[in-house]
Amino acid sequence: MPSPRALRRTNPITIALAALLTVGFLFFIFSSASDPAPPPPPTTKERLGSKDAASNPLSPPSLPFRKTSVLKQDGTQAPPPVVHYQMTNLTASADPVGNRETVLILTPMTRFYQGYWDNLLKLSYPHELISLGFITPKTREGNAATAALQEQINKVQSGSKGKRFASVTILRQDTEIPLQSQDEAERHKMENQKMRRAAMSKARNSLLFTTLGPTTSWVLWLDADIVETPASLIQDLAAHDKPVIVPNCFQRYYNDEKKAMDVRPYDFNSWIDSQTAQILAAKMDNDDILLEGYRELPTYRTLMAYMADSNQDLHAEVQLDGVGGTALLVKADVHRDGAMFPPFSFYHLIETEGFAKMASRLGWKSWGLPNYFVYHFNE
Amino acid sequence: MLPVYASSPQEKMHRHAFSNGHSAFPSLAGPGTFHIQPHKFQPRAQSARRRRRQLLIRLGLAVAGAFIFSLFIFPSLRAIFVPIFSLGIFSSTGLSAADSQIETVRYYDLNHVQGSARGWEREERILLCAPLRDAAPHLPMFFSHLRNLTYPHGLIDLGFLVGDSKDNTLELLTQLSEDLQADQDPNMHFGEVSIMEKDFGQKVNQDVESRHGFAAQAGRRKSMAQARNWLLSAALRPTHSWVYWRDVDVETAPFTILEDLMRHNKDIIVPNVWRPLPDWLGGEQPYDLNSWQESETALALAETLDEDAVIVEGYAEYATWRPHLAYLRDPYGDPDMEMEIDGVGGVSILAKARVFRAGVHFPAFSFEKHAETEGFGKMAKRMKFSVVGLPHYTIWHLYEPSVDDIRHMEEMEQERKAKEEEERRRQEMLARIRDQFDNPAQQWDEDKSRIRDMAKKGRNKEGGNSGGGGGPVEM
Repeated sequence: MPSPRALRRTNPITIALAALLTVGFLFFIFSSASDPAPPPPPTTKERLGSKDAASNPLSPPSLPFRKTSVLKQDGTQAPPPVVHYQMTNLTASADPVGNRETVLILTPMTRFYQGYWDNLLKLSYPHELISLGFITPKTREGNAATAALQEQINKVQSGSKGKRFASVTILRQDTEIPLQSQDEAERHKMENQKMRRAAMSKARNSLLFTTLGPTTSWVLWLDADIVETPASLIQDLAAHDKPVIVPNCFQRYYNDEKKAMDVRPYDFNSWIDSQTAQILAAKMDNDDILLEGYRELPTYRTLMAYMADSNQDLHAEVQLDGVGGTALLVKADVHRDGAMFPPFSFYHLIETEGFAKMASRLGWKSWGLPNYFVYHFNE
Repeated sequence: MLPVYASSPQEKMHRHAFSNGHSAFPSLAGPGTFHIQPHKFQPRAQSARRRRRQLLIRLGLAVAGAFIFSLFIFPSLRAIFVPIFSLGIFSSTGLSAADSQIETVRYYDLNHVQGSARGWEREERILLCAPLRDAAPHLPMFFSHLRNLTYPHGLIDLGFLVGDSKDNTLELLTQLSEDLQADQDPNMHFGEVSIMEKDFGQKVNQDVESRHGFAAQAGRRKSMAQARNWLLSAALRPTHSWVYWRDVDVETAPFTILEDLMRHNKDIIVPNVWRPLPDWLGGEQPYDLNSWQESETALALAETLDEDAVIVEGYAEYATWRPHLAYLRDPYGDPDMEMEIDGVGGVSILAKARVFRAGVHFPAFSFEKHAETEGFGKMAKRMKFSVVGLPHYTIWHLYEPSVDDIRHMEEMEQERKAKEEEERRRQEMLARIRDQFDNPAQQWDEDKSRIRDMAKKGRNKEGGNSGGGGGPVEM
């Protein structure tokens, strides 16, 4: 329809739009110049709780921090504040959501599995109470994993607010023995085990002691190849209110005999000690370690992997002497008391099994849930 | 202004009929049938349309103006509308204005914080840790030591753990740290100062006697270890290259101690710790006996003890015959001389942060029959880290008299008092003697002089007589 020229020339909509845009631009120009998120008043005293953002990047990595540096009245950079942390009131209870307890999820990562990340995002624990910590080796494989991880992190941390995690820390560290291959067969050769697990222990300890903040209540160790857990994993494990608790780690695979998908036990590091193992250990050299799941070294320990019975109570508990680290919920106090992953032979145990032993030396008992499953990636 | 369509009204008729909202009269009868076209000569329709449009535009402008005005008045509204307005340009990350200031992702390369011999040049950060309990009397001295440190203060983060204190340690610590961070001189400002408050509910007393009694040692060492571990795990960050443990009751230490120890580039290094003593105790004494080299005797002893036993040094109960760092001191020796040790004392430890990152901590249980700092040394050795002591580089611990010393000092005081008392009594006795018995000496002197005078006079008389007879001068 040919609208009248005169009308077109004086079309008020154009003017109105122009005016609107002008005002809009002015608004943005002024708002960005005069209204950065109001900086906090320069105080030197702070008391940080678990959900607060710290004022400078020196703060614990388990907390987010404000990017703008605090300026004093005269415009010079204010010195970092004196921060108080009230650790006496810090709880790790059976009702972590109700008590607003923060969880630190720690993952040593050599390869990035999309399944792991998707599963992590599905966790129903409030994400604003979760901090993530990753450590990746400085190898080609590690670089690739880091790049993939960062991409996913950026997506989530800039996505919808409810999905965002409180903070994410990525650490890079040289592993002492660069393993050429992470293939399953290579990885499990017994001679390599001690070296591999010592390096793994060091990676775990590095990650733990640098990211464990003064406000953290729980630490969840979750391996990078755990691709399926119940969404309520943290709540379910915490509900048992145990210092150290481990679910049963299985693996889904295609059973050729049954021609169907099936599950099989994967992690054999959760066990109850046996007399045989004790005697074996007593005869060993100080630096030798006792490994589980190898035919050369029958220990006759009671393995939690074989105690599974899916018909039984999901929340049946069993006390353990060694734990696996594929998925492991630990009260932060246990780590604070000093329980770490020994990279050396500690009572002839190493890494997560040695951790259970050290925790028990400090008076913290470990527990397992034989009928509560998490699933390992199948290569 | 005549509308353009006036020139061809025939074609336009229907449209205008429709556009004003009325439907055209239905032409059911087909062409040729007479029917009325009600709007045939009514150009009014156009102006009505314009008027309505103008009204709408004005309304729209008014609404938009009011909205923008409201945005200026209520800044809180902005956050809600900013993403809509900016058409996804500013909100491409989905962050609102306040949120974009919050950083949640951190990336650290631990290879950059391994610690080197010249850390101050490479801007390596140090975490200075001090566990505190009932330490208020020592805090002012401790903070003066901090101010004196020559290592760039901005590279030092302070970590304190205050627990089970019955005095005003926390208040005083807060006050002193805030004063420090508010100092006029920006070079005085330290990095982050973290104060952890944690009561473990320990029953062990912190006074000198119960602190050093043999029976209490194992339990005390374990709870000290726990406090140290809590402090470290809460304060250690991925940015730290070094960790320095320092007791608050060090009285004298070189200002350059951090650089001096760092220069050796060892994983764990400790200086020699002595303490000054009163003269009657010999002037000085080795203080920290926890830095030692392992001995065969001690290893054999360890074999015989049960799992939870803790060997503590400096007590007759465990004769270990270990070479102690403290006893090897030569005041004129080379301060840079190093000595391999197995157990370390906790008064002043400089360690690379990677030692702690690897998992070495202060065992709060019996680790190879040792706990706390000695167990720390043992564990570090187990993990193949270098542990070194400097026998001739000495710092001085505060002298707090032990109960024995206090008793001794009291005895000395009493002795002194007794002596004074005796002296006073002697003086009194003398005075009393003086009072009761007249001192005849003066009388005697007087008598003597009188007699002498008399004797003189007598002689003069005699002489006068004879002289008078012999010298008739008056003629």
